[in-house]
Amino acid sequence: MGALSGLRYIARGLLLAAIGLGIGIAIALAVTQVTGRELEEPAVAIGYVFALIGWLLGVGVWGTWAKEWLDLEPKDQDDPGWRRYFGFSLDHKVIGIQYLTTLMVVFLLAGILSILLRIELLDAGENFLSASNYNTIMSLHGIMMVAVAVASIIGGLGNFTVPLMIGAEDVAFPRINALSFWVIPPVALLLVLSPLFGGFDSGWTAYPPLSVINANGQLLFLLAFATFGLSSILGGLNFITTIIAMRAPGLTWGRLPIFVWSIFSAALLSLTFTQVVFFGLLAVILDRVVGTGFFMADQGGNALLYEHIFWFYSHPAVYIMILPAFGIELEILSHFSRKPVFAYKLVVGALLSIVGLSAVVWAHHLFTSGMADFLHIPFMVVTELISIPTGVIFLSALGTIWLGRLLLKTPMLFALGVIFNFLIGGLTGIYLADVVTDIQLQDTYFVVAHFHYTMVGGEIFALFGAIYYWFPKMTGRMYNERLGRIHFVWMMVMYNVTFLAMFWVGIQGMNRRIADYPADMVTGNVIVSVAAFLLAASFIPFVYNMVTSWKRGPVASANPWGARTLEWETTSPPPLENFKSPPVVVGDPYGYGEPKSRHIGSQPLGAEGDGD
Amino acid sequence: MNRHALIAVALWILISAAGFIAVLTYDPFPIAAAEQATLIDDAFKLLTLLAVPVFAMVVAFLLYSAFRFRRSVDGGEDGPPIRGNNKIAVAWLAASTALTIAVIIHPGITGLNEIRAHDGKPVDLVVQIESSRFAWSLIYPEQKIKARKELVLPINAVTRFKINSRDVIHSFWIPAFRIKIDAVPGIETTIVATPNKLGNYDDNINFRVQCAELCGLGHAKMSIPVRVVEKEEFDEWIAQQSPVQ
Repeated sequence: MGALSGLRYIARGLLLAAIGLGIGIAIALAVTQVTGRELEEPAVAIGYVFALIGWLLGVGVWGTWAKEWLDLEPKDQDDPGWRRYFGFSLDHKVIGIQYLTTLMVVFLLAGILSILLRIELLDAGENFLSASNYNTIMSLHGIMMVAVAVASIIGGLGNFTVPLMIGAEDVAFPRINALSFWVIPPVALLLVLSPLFGGFDSGWTAYPPLSVINANGQLLFLLAFATFGLSSILGGLNFITTIIAMRAPGLTWGRLPIFVWSIFSAALLSLTFTQVVFFGLLAVILDRVVGTGFFMADQGGNALLYEHIFWFYSHPAVYIMILPAFGIELEILSHFSRKPVFAYKLVVGALLSIVGLSAVVWAHHLFTSGMADFLHIPFMVVTELISIPTGVIFLSALGTIWLGRLLLKTPMLFALGVIFNFLIGGLTGIYLADVVTDIQLQDTYFVVAHFHYTMVGGEIFALFGAIYYWFPKMTGRMYNERLGRIHFVWMMVMYNVTFLAMFWVGIQGMNRRIADYPADMVTGNVIVSVAAFLLAASFIPFVYNMVTSWKRGPVASANPWGARTLEWETTSPPPLENFKSPPVVVGDPYGYGEPKSRHIGSQPLGAEGDGD
Repeated sequence: MNRHALIAVALWILISAAGFIAVLTYDPFPIAAAEQATLIDDAFKLLTLLAVPVFAMVVAFLLYSAFRFRRSVDGGEDGPPIRGNNKIAVAWLAASTALTIAVIIHPGITGLNEIRAHDGKPVDLVVQIESSRFAWSLIYPEQKIKARKELVLPINAVTRFKINSRDVIHSFWIPAFRIKIDAVPGIETTIVATPNKLGNYDDNINFRVQCAELCGLGHAKMSIPVRVVEKEEFDEWIAQQSPVQ
């Protein structure tokens, strides 16, 4: 009974979603009776819109927003214990953990999908998966991992830590925050259901005309991606407002922790550019459902237009993924080297320069697309200019650890791993920014290896570092250090073997997104596959460590790392209102080795006062 | 401090040297059978040679710091309060800017100009490529023939491919020539290659037209063999093909 009652919000959401779906299908039926167009896809699209509204009302929008508006008694308290994670909580800490655990499940599922792909690629020919299943699984792996990469740091860790790090009680818009999480489960559900509707064989990029003419599963993908976009837009808005308006007294922009700066930069991108891809996806949906022909040449549309719209978002999106990773990296390096972040102001300048430049580089994804020749040089130039602010991140990382007192605990190991991995990711990007080498490398495994080096080697390593780093703050317990180190060494080695071999396969001339390949390329693919299996196994100690430590790890103190940012000044886990009394900031958080330097003015009540 | 920096720099030089040797002695590329292929491989090699010292520097300072500056226990004193160093920052920015501009100019802009050397100029041979799921059909407009099974080209002929698509986006790619351009419905794209080595698919799989843009179910198998032959053999082959109206 107790356990089941925890799921009542989700049950209510599902019920209202089903009713919404019925209403939507009925409307679509009525409309198609009048217009005489075929039924299937309009019914799904309109049904989904109503189902989404039903789901959100049922899961909590009714209980919080609508009841208050209608002068009824709104729900004002979370369920106790684990059940709070299954309800429409307005607490940023609960929402952060909801995001993180949901996306970790998606990450592991998408990882299993990649294992299926690598089993198929163990040998030339079609062995294990049909071409159709391969395409759907590859596409699902892509979009699920993109969702993890976009939202796990911002939505998960950003939500949990940013209000704490700026000394706020919560985010600026707690209800919008809850909303931006609760649209994620429908995204996951749509993607999981898509194979039942013929799957989709267009990758996560979904270029039309293919994505307009293929199986119905594609529509589910498009609806899922567009819904995910809503979540990103709302999340971006919330973080920008929170960081501008909710900082503790004295926490000036120049004293802001570098991780908060990186989330602020990513939120600017998220709010601005996601709206563009949302339109692009909507246009593809309309091309499918009502035959608008935005991207169909035979109707006067333009297929290249979609590529521009898509990458106008999706290139900035890689900075939505990587900028917070830079923030985590520098944050951890500073606290575990017990030295200030090197060249802090220059790093802030670099983050903001990347935000600006990222808006004008998208067409480097289009060098072989057939776009006008005169666009090549300008896009090559601005793309390569990004090396300069990115180089500043490396300067800061090396400057921070140099002469420091490095404590090589798990978070620190991952942060150091990010430097190495992203170095390879960054340098191999130059070959793709250079038009001439890109002509050969585009659409080969070189590209696949490159973006895995930036997204996994850079961001996902930072994500794991951050999970270990903030685990005691989130759960009030300590993870197992030995298992953490095993996870790092295992993952670092197998990760690099997998993707270094993948570069080699790409240079040899293997193109991407293929279930079958020439028999000459078996050796390289076997190395990649076997290493990928071992890489996947490295997450076993991680999951085991997280689950057992959360249940019965040793109780963590308020500040187990002796770090100086505000989140370590309150209890682990923090109380609902975060700080017993609002903190006042008098200096920046990086004053290591400066005896008179202080970040916080008065010790807030309720902190245990250890560390520091 | 100077001693630390000296050791790290020595490490940097060592790793760079190893990297240079590896790059200069190992050739990772598939067969290069066109002028454009050599140009692209040379650009790749040059970028790698420039990347080696950058990679080596970061790795040297990273490894040295991780091993030399580690402490084994919690607590203890802080590191030195170094918040930045203007000289190093300026030098770093200057060096990375200079390298970036150098790479933009060469092989960036120069390479692009070379690869486009034949743009807008007459060529020796034109081949029209029509792509559709999941086949390539070839028309040689001057020779007035069409073919579907094999792309045959005479050696040393500057060849312009004019590409379009009847359905979805494909990409026309010949790995041995290193050239690639998308086939987009509604527009004609072009790319030029000058084959300079005889060869065929049976001897080397990189002699093939391969679709490089995901186009659906048969994408992986959307390829046809390429054969580079002497001029006489090319003429004989042309004579055997079916004419086009």
